[in-house]
Amino acid sequence: MAVALGIDLGTTNSVAAIATQTGVEFILGARGERVHPSVVAFPNSGGVVVGSDAKRYRLSEPHNVIHSAKRFIGQNTRAPLVQLALTGVRYTVVEGPNQQPIVVMRDRRMTMPEISSHVLLHLKRAAERQLGTPLKDAVITVPANFTDGQRQATREAGRLAGLEVLRLINEPTAAALAYGFGQDREEMIAVFDFGGGTFDVSILQLNGEVFEVLASEGDFFLGGDDLDRALAENLAAELHRVLRVDPRPHAALMMKLMMGAEAIKMHLSDNEAAEGEIEGLDLPGGQVGTLPFSLTRGQFEELIAGYVERTMAVTRQVMIAANIDPRMISDVLCVGGSTRIPMVRRQLAEIFRREPNIAINPDEVVAQGAAIQAGSLTGGLTFGTGMGARDAVATAGHSPLAQGAVTLPEITARRPVLLDVNPATLAIHTAGGFTERLLDKNAPIPIERTRVFTTSRDNQTRVEIDCCRGEARRYTENEPLGTLLLHDLAPLPRGDLKIEVQFRVDADGILHVKASDQMSGQAQEAHLQVLGAPVSPEYPGDVSGSKR
Amino acid sequence: MSARADVLLWAQRVLGRKGATSWQILEIPAGSGADVAQEAFHKIARFAHPDLLRRTLPPDELELVTTAYARAAAAYQELRGGGRVSTTRMKPIRDAINPASPVATTTVIPTSPSSNRAVPADVPANPTQMMNGKALIYYRKAELALRRGELTAAVLQLKMAIASDPGSVFLRSALGEVEAEVSKKP
Repeated sequence: MAVALGIDLGTTNSVAAIATQTGVEFILGARGERVHPSVVAFPNSGGVVVGSDAKRYRLSEPHNVIHSAKRFIGQNTRAPLVQLALTGVRYTVVEGPNQQPIVVMRDRRMTMPEISSHVLLHLKRAAERQLGTPLKDAVITVPANFTDGQRQATREAGRLAGLEVLRLINEPTAAALAYGFGQDREEMIAVFDFGGGTFDVSILQLNGEVFEVLASEGDFFLGGDDLDRALAENLAAELHRVLRVDPRPHAALMMKLMMGAEAIKMHLSDNEAAEGEIEGLDLPGGQVGTLPFSLTRGQFEELIAGYVERTMAVTRQVMIAANIDPRMISDVLCVGGSTRIPMVRRQLAEIFRREPNIAINPDEVVAQGAAIQAGSLTGGLTFGTGMGARDAVATAGHSPLAQGAVTLPEITARRPVLLDVNPATLAIHTAGGFTERLLDKNAPIPIERTRVFTTSRDNQTRVEIDCCRGEARRYTENEPLGTLLLHDLAPLPRGDLKIEVQFRVDADGILHVKASDQMSGQAQEAHLQVLGAPVSPEYPGDVSGSKR
Repeated sequence: MSARADVLLWAQRVLGRKGATSWQILEIPAGSGADVAQEAFHKIARFAHPDLLRRTLPPDELELVTTAYARAAAAYQELRGGGRVSTTRMKPIRDAINPASPVATTTVIPTSPSSNRAVPADVPANPTQMMNGKALIYYRKAELALRRGELTAAVLQLKMAIASDPGSVFLRSALGEVEAEVSKKP
């Protein structure tokens, strides 16, 4: 029976696992670690280095180390937030075809899916070594608010790594699946997912084997990285004051401060104060400096309060979107490393009037859910692979898989059904500069809707259908996705020509737009190429005008 | 396999109903609320979610079921509150001009004045972006007037807009449209 890999492809770290009949088994790195840094290095000495080994080059060759690729994958290079995030990385990114970001490293030009494919390939190879069998199929998780461009690019990364991506599932949905699979729960839960680079919060209804996402909101430019940066900037100011050097123009120095900040942040999750010094700071002029620091948890909380408040504002917002009261929520799952911060847990408890569930492992639960879904899709969950489950998941009895003793339900009879949601409202441009919504945010996927439109002028032989994403009624206030063209239309009085526009969001959350002219006798179809998405052979850029 | 036959029969039922209401698609009594719709949709998901069938159905049948499922999802979305959004939606300008439009769902796709050109790069962006600020204000007033059905007021505002931005082909064609509507009135 084929084994399928579940992969949590994170901004900072990635985790992979497989589900067997006896439990979930994590894919381990060379040192036995379950968590693999999503870092790819192209050292001057040649070759490609991935994972914890790649992190070693962060100080010696910061320009050759690509981290946080997930922040840019499938994004439009021109988006303001992308431009802002680019100021925080030391490698070079330029605009490529279809406005997608391209990493330039010495003489190489690489797309973001190519970078992420190195991480996926690293995991695939580790899994093959561990299981002793070739692997092909995978389920990859993405943040709930990932757009179709980001999803297409993630799929492309899987393809480049030689993986057959069975399904992309949303991270919070995966977490809920790991939590509730096989439990026959009838309840409503919240999943608060605050990772390295993305944040989202989702409300799910668990109804036996059905896992329905009622609403999901988020911010894919908010994460632990931002907290590290806030602290690193504070350290930089301190360094400037104490050592009389402004570290901000020096990449390696800032990287060292970022790493120091990350360590201090983690220390403060378990301790009230952090005191020590950052040693080995290579100052301009050849000197080596040492920066002493002393920070209480309270001081750190002041630095990050703005970011944490933003996550809580989104949390209140999602409950309004799902039209529910916090008291209806019976459990709050914490996912992502940033949920270890006591301030985050405290504020969550205030909103939901209950302590969040800290028994699940926030770093591993998403990969666990992905593995369960992968096993369900391939049917590979039935008989063991010959590997014993290794005390897989620290979920304190939440999942039967954790115990390694409970037999999974019969796959054909009781397989989990994930009702994921469309991440954003999708609309087209209509006369007067307004938008006409075709698909709502938070609608269940896969979903399809068709509307009939017409022309606004007599003898109009060509129409442009501008597609956009966003809630605003004004077209220009939304994010443009791309334009479909239909031309050589029959010249008819305005209003007589009927054009069918069909929006379909597939089970991976990827948008497919089709426009067809129903009147000219020769139905003409055009498909949308989403801006920022990789140019794939499956959806070629401009096929408008191709007659069918 | 009867489960397969059942799901295919269901898909054909859903796809065969042209112009069906959301209640009909979900096979629940007309006027049912969100709770009933959710229960019905969960039932559908348990047997027809494409993920459950990807290994058992051939591609063409899977596509058929996926399409039916995707339409059921749209029906569910409408009944659970998605419809609320569309009632507050601003009507496109075309509907305001011609409320007696025979096709209720018909709206207007904007065309740029030079839309007969073949090269997409030459096509100007949203025409309202091209207008100067003063013209835009008058244009917005014209839109408001149209939404209230005040055609003569709209003509006046559009003329003011053209006076502010005499070069705008878009405004002139809009004026032409509204004047044509005025002339149709008894």
